[in-house]
Amino acid sequence: MRRGTLTPYLLITPAMLLLLAFGVLPILVAALVSLTDMNISGLANWSNVEFIGFENYVALANDPDFWRALGNTALFGVIGVPSIVFLSLAVALLLDRSDGRIARALRSFYFVPAVTGIVAISLVWGYLYNTQFGLFNWVLSWFGIGQVQWLSDPWLAKFSVALVAIWRGTGLNIIIFLAALQGVPREYREAAALDGAGEWRTTRSIVLPLLGFAIFFVTVTTTIAWLQFFDEPFVLTDGGPLGATTSVSVFLYKEGFRLNQFGYASAGSLVLFVIIATITLVQLRIRRRDEKP
Amino acid sequence: MKRSITRSLAAVAATGLAVSLAACASDGGETTEDADGPLTVWIMGDSGANFEQLVAPFVEETGTEVEVVAIPWDAIDERLTTAVASGSGPDLLQIGLSKLRTFADAGALMPLDDHLADHPGLAAENFPDGVADATKVGGETVSVPWVSDTRVLFTRTDILAENGIDAPPATWDELREDAATLSARGDDQYGYYIPQWDSPLPVIMTWTFGGDIIDGDGNVDFDTAEFAKTVDLYTGLYADGSVPTNSDFDQTQGFISGIAPMLVSGPYLAKSIADAAPELDGKWQVSLVPGDTSRTSLFAGSNMGVWHNTDQPNGSLDLLEYLSEPETQLSWFDINGELPAVSAALQDDALVSDPLVQVYAEQLADSHVLPLVPNWDGATGADLLAALNAIVLTGADRDQTLAELYSKTEGTSIN
Repeated sequence: MRRGTLTPYLLITPAMLLLLAFGVLPILVAALVSLTDMNISGLANWSNVEFIGFENYVALANDPDFWRALGNTALFGVIGVPSIVFLSLAVALLLDRSDGRIARALRSFYFVPAVTGIVAISLVWGYLYNTQFGLFNWVLSWFGIGQVQWLSDPWLAKFSVALVAIWRGTGLNIIIFLAALQGVPREYREAAALDGAGEWRTTRSIVLPLLGFAIFFVTVTTTIAWLQFFDEPFVLTDGGPLGATTSVSVFLYKEGFRLNQFGYASAGSLVLFVIIATITLVQLRIRRRDEKP
Repeated sequence: MKRSITRSLAAVAATGLAVSLAACASDGGETTEDADGPLTVWIMGDSGANFEQLVAPFVEETGTEVEVVAIPWDAIDERLTTAVASGSGPDLLQIGLSKLRTFADAGALMPLDDHLADHPGLAAENFPDGVADATKVGGETVSVPWVSDTRVLFTRTDILAENGIDAPPATWDELREDAATLSARGDDQYGYYIPQWDSPLPVIMTWTFGGDIIDGDGNVDFDTAEFAKTVDLYTGLYADGSVPTNSDFDQTQGFISGIAPMLVSGPYLAKSIADAAPELDGKWQVSLVPGDTSRTSLFAGSNMGVWHNTDQPNGSLDLLEYLSEPETQLSWFDINGELPAVSAALQDDALVSDPLVQVYAEQLADSHVLPLVPNWDGATGADLLAALNAIVLTGADRDQTLAELYSKTEGTSIN
């Protein structure tokens, strides 16, 4: 009897240990460091580190650059999440209509950006976007349109960077939607067809409701990814021009690893953690309410 | 039996005493026994193999192995952080001047002042005027100059001549006028190029107007008449339409294609041009940076320092002195193309027979090190660029932006 109660705990121990070591512990360490003035000289000699209470958080609240990064991240999320969910759902629905050779080739084609290295992507897109020698401006020049500053104009750069991330982010989500579409029972579609429902009506009333969980899952993971948005602005613009594409993650990276303000950066990362956790919990709560009407 | 135990105890005690005495001596930093093993040297960039070739005579002469670790420039911050945190670093390391203060503040570098008497090759008088002093941190010598680098004016003489300009501009007013002439060649043609990431450029401009960005007490001070002239010049070049406004402008391509036929840059650009467009040979030249009061440029480059807790201080200092010998410095120029930092090597006849190097050497003789504030690249320099670029690129209000710059950099000090 006693052995029986212990077994489940024994079985989840490895997973729990990993979660504690690589999930919970770093957050606790960051929380502790965020209350100190830790910088590189503190790293060299622990006696240089002092507890300063919530000063880092007060400083964050008064840092216009941090608020700007928060605003940028919010904008990226507002552009990025609906675009990725809508685009990948649309592409998946279209790909699902056929199982021919072309459709199968296209499936791999859409997945390629997701498995390509971000550095290679940034090099290629950097050339596409280049003001003087870029492909986009070259094509535009046929129509007599002058040089567009894709990555140099503070407003346009936000959208250019977001576009690369959308292009890169759709692949994986298309696969998730395609897998979910396999799970839509053929009988339902047939029943709908017998009732005289057209393609559009079937998709809206049968397929989309059955994809509810997949759409929810993609929305949550995509939201988290956009709140942590880092790779594209880091490699394409380094957060520039003039901070226009600095997301919270890029801001934290610069504070932490370029300015060596580990305490300050830890405080910021904790704020970001709380924001992400809150938004995700709200999404879960909404989902649960929808499930039991 | 009992006696022998007493005796061996005494022996142990004596050994312990000797060990602790030796430890005391090493604290004093005077005579230390080096640990055995190879000397580890961190070299920046991809010149590790060349460096092994450079130190081969040293290895042969002293019998000390040298292990070279090449560190990419981008990775240096992370490497420093881990080395400081773990307490184990190299024995000798190359430090870019813009990172020197960070390294010294982290306590990563051994103070060398006590050792200069034993190693005359490392003394300040071997290096160009003021460089050794300017690279002291908190009054302590923590490194010695290793390679030098500067900024000079590059001009496409063929394009200038076609537009009626006979000589490269000698003052900023001339440069601004010439740049306006050149950018009038047509759409998407420019006269000059300002890299939007180049934080030393506004400082060079301030120096050439006779000012400085450091006040008498060692504090950063941008609120000066000379810096105001710099802002006039910087914003004026943009207002004239003489410089490209996109941040992804490629300076090498821009120079080779002639879109931006003038710019201030370093010797590495000369190498890029020679590699990418050998056919341009003879159609471009370098000259001293323009200047009204002086033609002062930037002394950039790298220093060499000894890691703070190396277990081979003597071997490291010997290698450091070997690296500072004029012959070693000259052979490094031959192998790797980096300019010497030692005055005797800079005056070498064979070296200055190259017309490019002649200009570099002349420019190096009148050049300053960027002030060693705690974090130039990440803080002061970044704030300076952000302010200037906000004015020229987004039309931010000049007075307000500069006032913000003054308050942001207030209290930043080289001390």
